[in-house]
Amino acid sequence: MNLAIIVLIVLFSISSFFFARTKVKKIAISNQTKLNALPDYYGFYLSLWCALPALLILIVWTIFEPSIIKAFIFQGISGENAQTYNNSELNLIYQQIKSFHFGYFTGTITEEIIRGAESYKSFLSIAQGSKIVLLATIIIFTTLYALKKILNNNKAREDVEKIFKGLLFVCSLVAILTTIGIIFALLFESIKFFSVINIFDFLFGTSWSPQRAFVRDASTITAEEYADLKNAFGTVPLFAGTAFIALIAMIVAVPIGLFSGIYMAEYANTKVRKYSKPIIEILAGIPTVVYGFFAALTVGPFFREIGEKFGLEVSSESALAAGLVMGVMIIPYISSLSDDVINAVPQSLRDGSYAIGATKSETIKRVVFPAALPGIVGSVLLAVSRAIGETMIVVMAAGLAANLTLNPLESTTTITTQIVMILVGDQEFDSPKTQSAFALGLTLFFATLVLNYIALRVVKKYREKYE
Amino acid sequence: MINNKVKIKTTNLNVYYGDKQALNDVNLEIHSKEVTALIGPSGCGKSTYIRCINRMNDVIDICRVTGSIEIDGNEINKKEIDVVSLREKIGMVFQKPNPFPKSIYDNVSYGPNIHGLAENKVKMDEIVETSLKKAALWNEVKDRLNEPGTSLSGGQQQRLCIARAISVNPEVILMDEPCSALDPIATAKIEELMDELKKTYTIVIVTHSMSQAVRVSQRTGFFHLGKLIEVDTTEKIFKNPNNKMTQDYITGRFG
Repeated sequence: MNLAIIVLIVLFSISSFFFARTKVKKIAISNQTKLNALPDYYGFYLSLWCALPALLILIVWTIFEPSIIKAFIFQGISGENAQTYNNSELNLIYQQIKSFHFGYFTGTITEEIIRGAESYKSFLSIAQGSKIVLLATIIIFTTLYALKKILNNNKAREDVEKIFKGLLFVCSLVAILTTIGIIFALLFESIKFFSVINIFDFLFGTSWSPQRAFVRDASTITAEEYADLKNAFGTVPLFAGTAFIALIAMIVAVPIGLFSGIYMAEYANTKVRKYSKPIIEILAGIPTVVYGFFAALTVGPFFREIGEKFGLEVSSESALAAGLVMGVMIIPYISSLSDDVINAVPQSLRDGSYAIGATKSETIKRVVFPAALPGIVGSVLLAVSRAIGETMIVVMAAGLAANLTLNPLESTTTITTQIVMILVGDQEFDSPKTQSAFALGLTLFFATLVLNYIALRVVKKYREKYE
Repeated sequence: MINNKVKIKTTNLNVYYGDKQALNDVNLEIHSKEVTALIGPSGCGKSTYIRCINRMNDVIDICRVTGSIEIDGNEINKKEIDVVSLREKIGMVFQKPNPFPKSIYDNVSYGPNIHGLAENKVKMDEIVETSLKKAALWNEVKDRLNEPGTSLSGGQQQRLCIARAISVNPEVILMDEPCSALDPIATAKIEELMDELKKTYTIVIVTHSMSQAVRVSQRTGFFHLGKLIEVDTTEKIFKNPNNKMTQDYITGRFG
């Protein structure tokens, strides 16, 4: 239904474009006046005024329609019946009514449901009818308004410009609001969690095992139970594991990525560059899950075999294997980005350095690299935040046990892995175990935010501006 | 006062960029402690010519140079020559000021640093000061040596680049249209400076300004389509050239 309405609106708007275009041309000729803009702009103006307000209303309507109908139905059920229902019972009845209406209800059919379904049907048709009337009125009004403007030879070019500016603004607003929404969702769930678990116990506790946290009702926790509970939600091992694996990844990725970037930007001739750059970028296109089983099935066992030869105890799910493979995954980000920023350093700076007798490596070390440093730092930080947020490789290759260790040969776990583990399978949304995932997510988000902020400040302070 | 000792001598110099020939059998002598101006329409090979002298064309992959370039009688257009010490001897100033994105001090100390010309900080301070003084920039920047070189005005930047070039005590300074991005006042300062510098250095300048060539140079060479058409004292070239094409060019009839 909505699709049909949208198609109609779009068709109408397109035809109004052509209508307006020919109309203004005719008027201009018959009145011997000069138009304020190209005829196309009048077309755009009219068709945008036709379509945009109506589509906007349609979207808002579609979002709110179900909940309004639901409210009416609730009222109907509560009004007719002597017995009172609580919210979840009402929801259940509403679901039953809906499925009965659409014809896939399988339970026992009661009088109440039949009556509910009837009123649901009537509400739906009322909604449908009023929606169409409303949209038609709006389209007529906006079209008439725009038409009047056009016939008065308005400044269509500037007006269309304004409308587009508004559209772009709305899009960026949506992006920003979504972000804020996500943050608030995280925040509210986390607040629920922190009302049970003290935030300091969460941040500084050294034992993590959310599996053993069974809490029925958060308000009735005794001191003994809490002592047990806080030992289930200490995140230090997770942060340590995350940082450790990210560190291993960066040790692999930064030198290799940076040096290959420098090679490609400064030393490689056009032919080598033409082939090697895409090949390195293929690495970035490999799905992380492929890296994951590569780490779990090839690299991990390989390290264990080597370790056995030297008499070392190597876990088959080791931080080393996960970090190493993650590092390989990150190489193309660093190399490709640093290649780009090095290329952006003007040739005139290199010429100046060569002309005074500097060799190629001196020029790179003392002129090109410092000039490109902000960009390089930026690419490294991008890589760090990828390493911290990366999930698939560590889920498959780093293990699940939250060990607090600095031995790269042991298994460790990361924040992302634990979030996955907590949220896989059936959930009860009011248990601290589930809510701890939100708290972890919030902490991770906050950590990345601080990292980015510091990075920005550093980059700003040490930037060597060219030009 | 004119010292006719030949500093740079090119014989049958040919330069190719890929298939395109940029210089065609250029035979030119550049005299010591004089300013030699190279004039000619755009794309005639003036810049290519001076970039041969300090082998800057090596930087361009597709560039090929044949023929002989002698400096003080030593051939430099051969593989074995060490371009690093060659470029230490032959400084260059570019068309657009290109100070490094470093402090004024670091810009000047860059060359002495990589060539190990100063054994300690005091010596380096001295080199920086004399270089900036020679480039007539010292008084303007002595209180802000730690500010970035890019914060200076265009004319100051260009003088900073000249200070950078002379910091390693070269014998020759090549200038590739050094004033084309500057206003008349800054240009006048640089021209004054060149008059001073030619007492110590051999200068080759590429310029599009006839009046500049007249003002600063003792000898002038006219290039056209990769060929050296005529070279003589500046006075002779501008008053009474041998070649009709030179005459046409300097009087603005083509180019």
